Amino acid sequence: MLQHYDPKQKGATQQNPEHMDFNKDYGTPQSLSENLITLQVDGVEITVTEGTSVLRAAALADINIPKLCASDNLEAFGSCRLCAVQIEGRRGFPASCTTPVEAGMKVTTQNEKIGKLRRNIMELYISDHPLDCLTCPSNGDCELQDVAGAVGLREVRYGFDGHNHLDAEKDKSNPYFTFDPSKCIVCSRCVRACEEVQGTFALTVDGRGFASKIVAGQDDSFLDSDCVSCGACVQACPTSTLMENNVIEMGQPEHSIVTTCAYCGVGCSFKAEMKGDQVVRMVPYKGGEANQGHSCVKGRFAFGYATHKDRIKTPMIRDNIDEQWREVSWEDAIGFAAKRLKEVQAKYGRESVGGITSSRCTNEETYLVQKLIRAAFGNNNTDTCARVCHSPTGYGLKTTLGESAGTQTFDSIRHTDTMLVIGANPTDAHPVFASMMRRRLREGAQLIVADPRKIDLLKTPHLKDAIHLPLRPGTNVALVNSLAHTIMSEGLEDKAFIASRCDDKAFLKWQAFIREERNSPEAMQSITGVDAGDVRRAARVYANAGNGAIFYGLGVTEHSQGSTMVMGIANLALATGNIGREGVGVNPLRGQNNVQGSCDMGSFPHELPGYQHVADDEARGRFEAAWGVKLDDEPGLRIPNMFDAALAGSFKALYVQGEDIAQSDPNTQHVEAALKALDCVIVQDIFLNETAKFAHVLLPGSTFLEKNGTFTNAERRINRVRKVMPPLAGKEDWEVTVALSNALGYEMNYSHPSEIMDEIASLTPSFSGVSYDRLEELGSIQWPCNEQHPEGMPIMHVEDFPIGKGNLAITEYVATDERATRRFPLLLTTGRILSQYNVGAQTRRTENQTWHDEDVLEIHPHDAEERGVNQGDWLGISSRAGQTVLRAVISQRMQPGVVYTTFHHPGSGANVITTDSSDWATNCPEYKVTAVQVEKVTQPSEWQKNFEDFNKKQQDYLKKGRRHRSEEVSR
Amino acid sequence: MSHSQLDQLIIMANQIADNNHLDTDAESVEFIATHIKKFWARSMKEELIAYAKEGGDKLNVLATQAVMLLSEQYSSPGT
Repeated sequence: MLQHYDPKQKGATQQNPEHMDFNKDYGTPQSLSENLITLQVDGVEITVTEGTSVLRAAALADINIPKLCASDNLEAFGSCRLCAVQIEGRRGFPASCTTPVEAGMKVTTQNEKIGKLRRNIMELYISDHPLDCLTCPSNGDCELQDVAGAVGLREVRYGFDGHNHLDAEKDKSNPYFTFDPSKCIVCSRCVRACEEVQGTFALTVDGRGFASKIVAGQDDSFLDSDCVSCGACVQACPTSTLMENNVIEMGQPEHSIVTTCAYCGVGCSFKAEMKGDQVVRMVPYKGGEANQGHSCVKGRFAFGYATHKDRIKTPMIRDNIDEQWREVSWEDAIGFAAKRLKEVQAKYGRESVGGITSSRCTNEETYLVQKLIRAAFGNNNTDTCARVCHSPTGYGLKTTLGESAGTQTFDSIRHTDTMLVIGANPTDAHPVFASMMRRRLREGAQLIVADPRKIDLLKTPHLKDAIHLPLRPGTNVALVNSLAHTIMSEGLEDKAFIASRCDDKAFLKWQAFIREERNSPEAMQSITGVDAGDVRRAARVYANAGNGAIFYGLGVTEHSQGSTMVMGIANLALATGNIGREGVGVNPLRGQNNVQGSCDMGSFPHELPGYQHVADDEARGRFEAAWGVKLDDEPGLRIPNMFDAALAGSFKALYVQGEDIAQSDPNTQHVEAALKALDCVIVQDIFLNETAKFAHVLLPGSTFLEKNGTFTNAERRINRVRKVMPPLAGKEDWEVTVALSNALGYEMNYSHPSEIMDEIASLTPSFSGVSYDRLEELGSIQWPCNEQHPEGMPIMHVEDFPIGKGNLAITEYVATDERATRRFPLLLTTGRILSQYNVGAQTRRTENQTWHDEDVLEIHPHDAEERGVNQGDWLGISSRAGQTVLRAVISQRMQPGVVYTTFHHPGSGANVITTDSSDWATNCPEYKVTAVQVEKVTQPSEWQKNFEDFNKKQQDYLKKGRRHRSEEVSR
Repeated sequence: MSHSQLDQLIIMANQIADNNHLDTDAESVEFIATHIKKFWARSMKEELIAYAKEGGDKLNVLATQAVMLLSEQYSSPGT
């Protein structure tokens, strides 16, 4: 992973922070030592940290030694020899990249001898390099060309007729980049980026000497190799050997703007490199503190959806869902929506309408939607997709630690000795953070994975020790209790931490509970299916770790005991004192880009922004004063409750911003029936998504590239989203909400999202120090940011908890009702894969389809054999909720009795099978456990056939609506 | 297989009760009532209270008591 200058880091001040430029390559990584060394380079005195290379020290003083194989996100390699220097008292010409600084060292970077040496080296390189610079894609951004210029190469005495690689064949298998080995100088930067930055080890140098060449896998094509298309190699390449196809087609970008990725909860910073208002490429930004210059295939490459032909560019309305759309002006669409909402409220009452905020939109937009609902609709019927993913995190962490958020920075993993990963699949769902995890694992950290599946993190190259606890789906709490039982019964707890930081009464009660024999690994073994010895071993490793950190995902929350499990995780961290410092903590890995933010911004029906309960008179009073309206002091409906109320006839209208409930929410047939029961559905989205097919008003949304705002990632980091192109339909999403509110008679006046953030800061104690100016100054801010913490708080709970003492909670295991039976003998669990994102609305409209163009059912060979199933067979999967048909993939990643699928394609109907079972505390659906039967079939399910018909009909309505408009215009 | 709104509310209330057996029944009832009060919408509470008052056959014991407690809290003035 990329090392970079951190101004807050001790000892770094000597490196002249004012001149640290995240767009410059300093040649070798920053040294984290605190000792300072002073040396002279070309007579200039420079002070740097011990361990810094001469190359970097010189670069820090803006003495730029030519280099080709060095880059500051890779360890020094010393192969190109271009960075050779002379050092007083030493013989020869040492490579400055591999030479660490020493006190009093006197370095000469330029003289005649050095110049000649560098020219000779360049001459050799260029003798086997095509001289097509003018027509080369990297023209304008080629390090080889730059260095040739810098060393003053004027002739190639060897000629070009000898043996060479100029006819080497291009590999165009990857849809996003081309590998042109004829331009390769075998500097190994791509190989090292794949290893050190990404951690995949897909590339290697094959052969020796003149025959050396870069190959993917076992000399496979890039696409057939283990390559995950993260693009780190493309970014690392100093020539045009690995080049984005976009650059090949469009040429070099002419300006760039730093913004934040809109895919997963890692929240990577990118430079959007532009030509006018067209994005040429996204390059991860070295100054982004979450990703530190790395990216995945989605963030770097899958942005083409923003200009896809399917984008909705004009507002549309219709009276009912069985008629074609009519394209209308913004004014007419907003007027129509407001009229419909008012009619519904007049007929069915104030509480008959509600809305869903988007965890993909910005904080400012989310804040406005919940404000619209509370202030203009006059009720608290607001919810967000966090309901169906991390709502148990909010409940569980608030109960035990006092704050509904993860406790660490991602970077804190550099200090982790043992990572306990529960119900998360970081290499697929949080790939950039997975690379950080893998780097730490290569450095020797231990890994414990509690997951029904053998996730890819367990296959990390150079992994040392790893323990896999393959539990049965639905038994998380039983497992976490048996881990805690081991810690407490074997005396592995941190007594000092417990005494000083935990609530006595709660601890004693919990200790008595957890020590009961029924919570022992031996007693729980028959429930979890995990060997008691392995559980004890894992508990010892975590408790004795030094620094033990827990990372968890939706495999924890999406259960009937999701909230209980989150509390069980917090209990583990509290009992072992693994909280409140670097390298430890409780780290929920958030699914969508702004799930943390949408929760912070008051999207939940019971909480105003900043997790302030609606029944809290003081807090509500402040909002009432600022918003100038009376607010309801009772919570509103949560998403599943809205569906139930819709079918019961009391809930009649819904405003959905950037969310596709018809595809992502469980029990699809129930959701569809609920949507059909509504009198008015207003969908604001960039595409005609599944939910929009049930809508009466379709308001065009804008992508993250088209607006200003902020996202908050899984580390509570507030990052700026910056507009790089105008919104396709003319309005940023927040402007649409403002217009709707004004049409409803509740006035909103904002001219820029920064004004919305100012309002948020004035009403939300944990955001009181946040403003756009402050974000420009600091780059990003981890909340809480207030008077006590003016620069935010990277690590939480260092001194105390927001509730004073840590609260260990009783976590009784209660089996889910959703269990394997004779009729439904298998357990289905659902998840995601690397190349697709959530409902796939974005990634399905990119070349990422190359990797995953259909959802499949993974089934263990044993279960497959029992049913006579072969690879690729059509399988009918039935649950008590419904039936769907998917193709079989036989896989040992699953344990016998468990099947797995993804939900990225709407026609797959993965959620036709998932049920209404949910978390007891928050109603978060139990996506991870559905009892099913699987059998061979020959045709799609009834639901799938209906889906096809309905989809065709709705696409037709859209097409006719568009044609109608163009005819009107031409008349 | 979809449940009606009332069926769903009953399942949810019973589930809260099943997951929160505290030291005494009184504590459990208090906890369940508070949880529902804090997280459920007005209409959901009203519907379940009405059901409990009519006998509430499908509610388990603790859930019934919690809903009745909730009913008292909502009917007493000042709450």
